[in-house]
Amino acid sequence: MSSWLQTAVERAADVSDGLALKRQASLELLCDAKWPTRKTEAWKYVPINVWERAELSGATNDTVSAPVIDGLDSLDVVFVNGQLQSVAAESIEGLTLISLSDAGAQAADLFGTIKPDRHLFGLVNDVLATEGVVIDVAAGAEIEKPIRIVNLLGEGAEAHTRVLVRLGAGAKATVIEHYSGNSLSRNTGFAEYQVGEKAQLEHYRFALQTGEAMSIGGCHVELAEHSELNSTLVGFGSALSRIDVDVTHAGSHAFAKMNAIYLLDGKELFDLHSTIEHAVPNGTTEENVRGIVADNSRAVFNGRIHIHRDAQKTLAELNNRNLLLSDRAEINTKPELEIYADDVRCAHGATVAEIDQKALYYMQSRGVSRAQAQVMLNFGFINELVDQMPNEALAEWLRPQLRERFASMEVK
Amino acid sequence: MTEQIDKALQREYEAGFVSDIESDTFEPGLNEDIIRRISSMKQEPEWMLEWRLKAFRNWLEMEEPDWAHVDYPKIDFQAISYYSAPKSMKDKPKSLDEVDPELLKTYEKLGIPLHEQMMLAGVAVDAVFDSVSVVTTFREKLEEAGVIFMPISEAVHKHPELVQKYLGSVVPQKDNYYAALNCAVFTDGSFVYIPKGTKCPMELSTYFRINEQNTGQFERTLIIADEGSYVSYLEGCTAPQRDENQLHAAVVELVAMDDAEIKYSTVQNWYPGDEEGRGGIYNFVTKRGLCHTNAKISWTQVETGSAVTWKYPSCVLKGDNSVGEFYSVALTRGCQQADTGTKMIHLGKNTRSTIISKGISAGRSNNSYRGLVRMNSSAKGARNFTQCDSLLIGDQCGAHTFPYVESRNPSAIVEHEATTSKVSDDQMFLCQQRGLDPEKAVSMIVNGFCKEVFKELPMEFAVEAGKLLEISLEGSVG
Amino acid sequence: MLSIKNLHASVEDKQILKGLDLEIKPGEVHAIMGPNGAGKSTMGYVLSGREGYSVEEGSVTLDGTDLLELEAEERARAGLFLAFQYPVEIPGVSNLEFLKAAVDAQREARGEEAVSSKDFLKMAREACKQVHLPAEFLKRGVNEGFSGGEKKRNEIMQMLLLQPKLCILDESDSGLDIDALQVVAEGVNSQRSPDRSFVVVTHYQRLLDYIKPDYVHVLSEGKIVKSGDASLAQELEDQGYAWLKEQRAADAEQSA
Ligand SMILES: Nc1ncnc2c1ncn2[C@@H]1O[C@H](COP(=O)(O)OP(=O)(O)OP(=O)(O)O)[C@@H](O)[C@H]1O
Ligand SMILES: [Mg+2]
Repeated sequence: MSSWLQTAVERAADVSDGLALKRQASLELLCDAKWPTRKTEAWKYVPINVWERAELSGATNDTVSAPVIDGLDSLDVVFVNGQLQSVAAESIEGLTLISLSDAGAQAADLFGTIKPDRHLFGLVNDVLATEGVVIDVAAGAEIEKPIRIVNLLGEGAEAHTRVLVRLGAGAKATVIEHYSGNSLSRNTGFAEYQVGEKAQLEHYRFALQTGEAMSIGGCHVELAEHSELNSTLVGFGSALSRIDVDVTHAGSHAFAKMNAIYLLDGKELFDLHSTIEHAVPNGTTEENVRGIVADNSRAVFNGRIHIHRDAQKTLAELNNRNLLLSDRAEINTKPELEIYADDVRCAHGATVAEIDQKALYYMQSRGVSRAQAQVMLNFGFINELVDQMPNEALAEWLRPQLRERFASMEVK
Repeated sequence: MTEQIDKALQREYEAGFVSDIESDTFEPGLNEDIIRRISSMKQEPEWMLEWRLKAFRNWLEMEEPDWAHVDYPKIDFQAISYYSAPKSMKDKPKSLDEVDPELLKTYEKLGIPLHEQMMLAGVAVDAVFDSVSVVTTFREKLEEAGVIFMPISEAVHKHPELVQKYLGSVVPQKDNYYAALNCAVFTDGSFVYIPKGTKCPMELSTYFRINEQNTGQFERTLIIADEGSYVSYLEGCTAPQRDENQLHAAVVELVAMDDAEIKYSTVQNWYPGDEEGRGGIYNFVTKRGLCHTNAKISWTQVETGSAVTWKYPSCVLKGDNSVGEFYSVALTRGCQQADTGTKMIHLGKNTRSTIISKGISAGRSNNSYRGLVRMNSSAKGARNFTQCDSLLIGDQCGAHTFPYVESRNPSAIVEHEATTSKVSDDQMFLCQQRGLDPEKAVSMIVNGFCKEVFKELPMEFAVEAGKLLEISLEGSVG
Repeated sequence: MLSIKNLHASVEDKQILKGLDLEIKPGEVHAIMGPNGAGKSTMGYVLSGREGYSVEEGSVTLDGTDLLELEAEERARAGLFLAFQYPVEIPGVSNLEFLKAAVDAQREARGEEAVSSKDFLKMAREACKQVHLPAEFLKRGVNEGFSGGEKKRNEIMQMLLLQPKLCILDESDSGLDIDALQVVAEGVNSQRSPDRSFVVVTHYQRLLDYIKPDYVHVLSEGKIVKSGDASLAQELEDQGYAWLKEQRAADAEQSA
């Protein structure tokens, strides 16, 4: 067992709350778990040793305010260095928005029901996440205001937070998970979403930690009959940044649209694993993942679609496109199909290419400099997905950040 | 409809007979002593034995791979016999007339006549029976062109400098578990050398037959195409119908020097086991080619047999402008499991690779494509295109795709696409409406699905492959 | 204005231009015709500085500036405009954004003041109107999903906005319906002025009915083999290029 894991297990012994039973089960699994090596398929391209090696000083508990997003009127939940700082107090009919520690039975109901236990760091989060938030939307309730969960990570912090979401039948809600921080820290952030019958979840995960911040997390979604998921994930890499997105079609006729973007520069690392489980018939999944990888960075995308024997009439498509901007950068992509039903339409595609030279020349021939043309092309490539974000305020907030990233990316 | 199609896929395994031939067979077991005995049976020089022993010691340290999407009971390597040869082969027949007629009959039955007058025109055949090569045809004619085509056991004696130089140069001994095992215990296989600037005057082929019970076949093939030469090589394989599983762990190494081209085609029809998954061959094969500057290696495979297939014919595109191709049709039915694909390792500038894989799964089988395309940082301007299509027939089978794409060069372009489809009711109806019976309709649809690959096969083989699928699809359809 | 002297150029080691000469004075319109594969588009690419084309011999100057020394964007800023035979699609980059970037860059290079976004939008809308493209096309990705004719009109629209000195139109008439042909021609004619010149590459007389050229040249196998006035176009339309073959045969005999 790794020494870090050893201390995590020891710390877990001190945790005691209403979730003790569930935590105990995970702890047992964790004790038997093997620390990933390069030979562990799920961690093949990402050296995990930085996580273990880092010596954290422990964070000071400053009060920091959540970054403002123009035009976004959201219900904010703010964690600073893993400690819950504030929960929006506004009371809205049909919405329970409450801290994990105050949630009691509601938390026990939702905790660990969706998250698969195969993920080592998911188990870590199970045993150490004492801070978190529960979002429970009553059947039929439509929550207009987006709920934003902000995780701010400062120097020396180690944070383990949990987000538990339930949308009752026919409910509608928007949840934004927003992570940021750029100094040496460790964090696991896992979220579980139960989307009820005919419910609609609009979901965002902005994994915008950069620099020295290390982060391992996941979004786990279970879709009931006729429910809908529209999810957008944006990742900037960091010293270690890994996200697992798992979506299970548990009820038939569910629809999942998932877009993901990663933009890496410097020595950043970003590893996105997505797994779509079609367990029942008539589900639809559309997944589009695009990445730009510059300088000395490394991106990993593993996109798995698993069609179970009963999942006839599934439509599932996954597309991953990458631009590689430097010969020191690296992209590793693996779109997987595992199909056990015959009457399905499944396809995936993956490309890795350089910037479109023809387009570059076309723009230059109109007088645009090469450098600017590159930024515009990069931006355009990503913006196609940003344009699809249902929330315009978020798209507007994101675009300048993307541009800023592109401007600093060097193309050879 | 599915039921109809499935019925259409029922088939007899035509090559399932056993030849009544007396053999010298080692007792089961694997240890250094067995390896020494194999080596001495072949009267090998000391260096060959040393090489085997080194591999064996490596193998002992290695672990059986478990990453493939296949499931089979653990193999007891001590329960296998590692050498078996027809008694009649002991005194090394000098000509065909001296070869045991029962042996010749076996090949005739398989459609591979070895008598000169009956031989397939334009195809030279090396016939390997269990652990030995029975006969190699057209040798004189090939020698005239300077082409060396002989059993590898003979090449060890006659061309030791070539064997020593290239054996293990493409697939290192420690490459993987089964390759290491093969290095230790390989018995026979073909050796080919095409001299500089020579276009091999005929197709070369090796026909592998496992006959004896409880034996493993560990063949080894080494093909060297010297600068500017060309060769097209075919291999075929069959085995009797038995209830036990048998192990086949081959290694094939290809070396294409500057401007050379090697076309390697396989029609693999090892016994697949019965409907319930009893018996059948475990086909664990390592095939790899090394391309020097401007060279080209093209793998074409039609895989219809074996209970379990674990096979990834690969190309290392080391030289600038070299080209690698992989065309594959894999049909699984009954309880067959195939995990097959390729690796294209791009090292040189402007290297190109194309991968076309067609997987057809029926019955309760599982068919996986597993591939790796790697663009090294040195692979400036390299290109890959991959197309993986799966056809599912019935709702009890599985079709899977596991492609790994790793790119480190911004000017390299990789494109991968995969789709799945089924033989649709509409397609069937259209064919039937035009007067085709369902059996013919399925076979036409499947053949159409595979066309891109079939057209890569040499003429003689394209026919055989087509027939194979047809046999597979033969049956009583109501 | 434009002076091409003995231009030899190749792409992928294939020699395409083999001693091209062309002199264009301010205000002139030159039509270039010639069989498929003659090198007409290549000429446009070489002049505008597309990568992969190498010039072995000869010179090209625009108002005395050596074009061949410049990057593609610098040539554009020097006043050269190429309307592409096959305009490139750039998904994700909006037409408007792209045009604004181009106009800004060119104005900056000329030391002119930048136009405000508002004014630019007005200009762009106006230009769209002139080539009968709905203003919505400004929001779409550059040429993304445009029909063949729409792409050609979009090229002319860019020309209107950029106000170049020398315009090379590579088959801007192909794939256009009759109305669109007129729109394109009008676009060009509206820009004719004593200090702006045009090179119009076309296969058909009908465009030249609208845009009256001062000279017509026949480009074949990488060089100008015949020049004349507007009537040459009609002659070609009637006779085709068979005579080229005969001439070539005769040339070959002579040199033998
Ligand atoms: N990248 C390239 N590689 C090889 N040959 C090329 C390349 N680009 C152009 N060519 C060849 O150069 C020749 C000239 O092409 P070009 O496009 O300039 O002809 P064109 O006169 O414009 O013909 P068209 O009337 O059909 O448009 C053709 O034979 C073409 O095939
Ligand atoms: Mg042209």
